[in-house]
Amino acid sequence: MRNARRILRIALFLIIGLWLHYVMPHRDVARVTSTEIIRTDFSNFNRMFYAQADSGTVENPTRDLRLINTERKATYFFGLIRGGNETMVYRNEDTGWIYPPYFKFDSSDLQAESAAFISTSEPQQWVVITHYGWRVRWASIYPNAVSIRPVESEDFRPFPWVNLVIFALLIAGFLFLRAMWRQFRERTVDPLADRVGDQYDHVSADLSERKGRVSRWLGTWRKK
Amino acid sequence: MQFVRLVVFGFLILSVLYLCITLYSRSIRREKLEDEWDANPPEGATPDMRAIFVKEGMTKYESGLRKKLILLVYVIPPIVVGTIIYFIN
Repeated sequence: MRNARRILRIALFLIIGLWLHYVMPHRDVARVTSTEIIRTDFSNFNRMFYAQADSGTVENPTRDLRLINTERKATYFFGLIRGGNETMVYRNEDTGWIYPPYFKFDSSDLQAESAAFISTSEPQQWVVITHYGWRVRWASIYPNAVSIRPVESEDFRPFPWVNLVIFALLIAGFLFLRAMWRQFRERTVDPLADRVGDQYDHVSADLSERKGRVSRWLGTWRKK
Repeated sequence: MQFVRLVVFGFLILSVLYLCITLYSRSIRREKLEDEWDANPPEGATPDMRAIFVKEGMTKYESGLRKKLILLVYVIPPIVVGTIIYFIN
């Protein structure tokens, strides 16, 4: 029982952690090499890793997808360790009014900005691309770029202020909910349970007394 | 259409939150009043006097500013959404 609970707890923790890793903003230092548009047919599996059609337009089974091709600085362990250069492709979709709550409506403008940052010859223009999501090659899943801005050099190290604030708020919210739940239990559930427990005690005492009477009566028939 | 859905569901979720916070805050206030009475009960206090004290404190709370501050639950999320929209787009 304890093991089952432990496994459940670890699974829940993992799912929440992975989900946060997916939807939280990440920032990459990258160099845009080109932008392109491909037609995309979603499968049932990878559909959930794409946003809906541009806000204000209609959803069809197939549509064009804006992509930003870049060369970026590889990072490991939440961006603490820097690696070499690697290829990364971002999709560029409106998240609209729905999940995840980035409220991004300007994917066309972002595409124009990234096209303006295309830099293939020296000196190279590096940019910080804020994005969420994962690149999963075997399922054709791309991270969604949210914003792009230029930086001086490729050595720029973005610091995750936004993530820290969001995490602090999440933890505060969790503690608040827990305090609410505890108050509810202390003031509402426990007194009720006490009352029920009291009643149960009364009933069982009554029962055992009655049983005592019956067994005493039976005892009178036994040989002494 | 998405916007309507966000507004409707957002309103429902915030209403649930508002209700929960209202109940929680009321419960906390009542507990504080009870503790206040129990810490220093006047001479010859009866349970009736305690109940009246708590009731008076609760009526004061119900018409106070603290209770109205819970309405911020409906105000803050739209502001946050507006700020995000401004900074992202």
